[in-house]
Amino acid sequence: MREEILRVFSFYFFLGKKSARTRTFFLVSSVSILMALIIRAYQLAGYWTENGQVIFQNFLMVFFLQFLIVLLGLFYGTSILAEEVEGRTMSYITTRPVRRAALITGKYLAYLSLVSIMLISTVLISYLILNLGRDFRLDDIGTVFRYFIILWLGLAAYMSFFNFLGAWLKKPILVGLAFGFGWESIIQYFPGTTQKLSVAHYLKSLLPQYTSSSGKLGFLFIRLEPTKPGLAVLILIAIILVFLILASLIFSYKEYLFEE
Amino acid sequence: MTAVIEATSLSRWYGNVLGISDISLEIQPGITALLGPNGAGKSTFMKIITGQLKANLGQVRIYGQKVWNNNQIFHRLGFCPEVDAFYEELNGLEFLSGLLSLYGFRKAECLKLAEQALKIVELQDVKLRPIRSYSRGMRQRLKVAQALAHDPEILILDEPLSGLDPLSKRRLIKLIKELRTKGKTIVVSSHILPEVEAMTSEIILIHHGKILAKGDIYFIRELLDTHPHMIKIKSPQFRELASWLAPEDYILNITFEPESQAVIFETHHRDRFFDRLNELVLNSDLNLEEITSPDDNLQAVFDYLVEK
Repeated sequence: MREEILRVFSFYFFLGKKSARTRTFFLVSSVSILMALIIRAYQLAGYWTENGQVIFQNFLMVFFLQFLIVLLGLFYGTSILAEEVEGRTMSYITTRPVRRAALITGKYLAYLSLVSIMLISTVLISYLILNLGRDFRLDDIGTVFRYFIILWLGLAAYMSFFNFLGAWLKKPILVGLAFGFGWESIIQYFPGTTQKLSVAHYLKSLLPQYTSSSGKLGFLFIRLEPTKPGLAVLILIAIILVFLILASLIFSYKEYLFEE
Repeated sequence: MTAVIEATSLSRWYGNVLGISDISLEIQPGITALLGPNGAGKSTFMKIITGQLKANLGQVRIYGQKVWNNNQIFHRLGFCPEVDAFYEELNGLEFLSGLLSLYGFRKAECLKLAEQALKIVELQDVKLRPIRSYSRGMRQRLKVAQALAHDPEILILDEPLSGLDPLSKRRLIKLIKELRTKGKTIVVSSHILPEVEAMTSEIILIHHGKILAKGDIYFIRELLDTHPHMIKIKSPQFRELASWLAPEDYILNITFEPESQAVIFETHHRDRFFDRLNELVLNSDLNLEEITSPDDNLQAVFDYLVEK
């Protein structure tokens, strides 16, 4: 199985690198660099007096965590199967000596890796733009790494869930949009255990608490009743695995028909 | 002889629409053609024997093994789909070597096999061009290449000649016949009798999801020869043409369409009709613009068989 997953991974990583969608989303991700430059200009002009770390975390919350990883997860996750159905290329992959579970897992990992590369480069550059200069220390690279791990877990969880939606539903994008930008945006601000029904809750629980109530966008942490970091990581990993297994099961038994 | 592909009482429907019904057959090495009009159930049958669809009833076995969710069978089987679909961002070489990598071949081996397959279908000169820039004929040949690149024992080709120009058709037919001499089992579908005739004499007539007849092509030929069919010819000399052919005993009826400068012949002997037409073209200054069959001959034969 591992060997089959690797074969699929190599094929789709290569295919993904060449796709127009990857170029488009790389550009979308790069908007964060532009935004970081604008914020830095404001900061230098004295309009934004807060610490670079605080600004970056607020920026991370608004752009990366609440928008970019959901968007990337949605479009790449749902496309894992939907693009084969819509592009009518399904027969090329389902008539090869590769188990369907390996097909879906290998393609998921290939797309996750591609998007992770997009993410790490834009997170790192945005962080450096906002923090280079005044009191930047090499230790701060560790902070960027931590941010990146949090975002990566979120991306993997969203992509796994949307991959499941893509395997299950004929038109997954609308349901995905409603979940990613509707449910996720609202439910995380509900008090009590209700907020724990969102992926965003566990991601926010992993962010350093020192900024939770500071910064111009500190209100985004309102009502956060954080889950312990260790448990949050375990729950995110469980989300990734459960939905990946469910998508594999559906793909193994479902027939994908298209108009001819 | 042991059957390579064995289908037993296969039925498949899509909601209330019947795909195929109670199909039982055995396919031996060599070329077997599935002949039937569009929507007859050929593609459904092919998708079931390639494990892409499940039969609602019955079962299919290849070399005695079940097909659905048996991915190992695909080392021995190649499938060319009917739909004109590709990973358009890739070039021909990348497409083939990428798909070959899914078999577990090493990179160098994938490239070697891909090059070989491209050579077979005569696409080596355009192997580095993006697929999106390929002509319809090139795309069709590339589909065939991906089916045979790993040298499978069985080839399932769904309408492989569809959309090809006459020269490309001839090349592909030649290739399919060469593959037969290498001991392959080839199942090919078509809705055009002369195409099938050029490839094999072993045919399975399929219509409305059922097998109407199995056997050699001469049986169908006889049916065609006894069953009247129409041939429409557009020519500026359509009246002269009609006068030359009218005395022939195999012409049953002649209808003129002056507005389109065409004449429609009804004949029960297609071969003799075309032999005479060839003579006329060679021995006179007859200028033919178009020859078509207003009623689908194959459809007419199927209707005739169903009535029978």
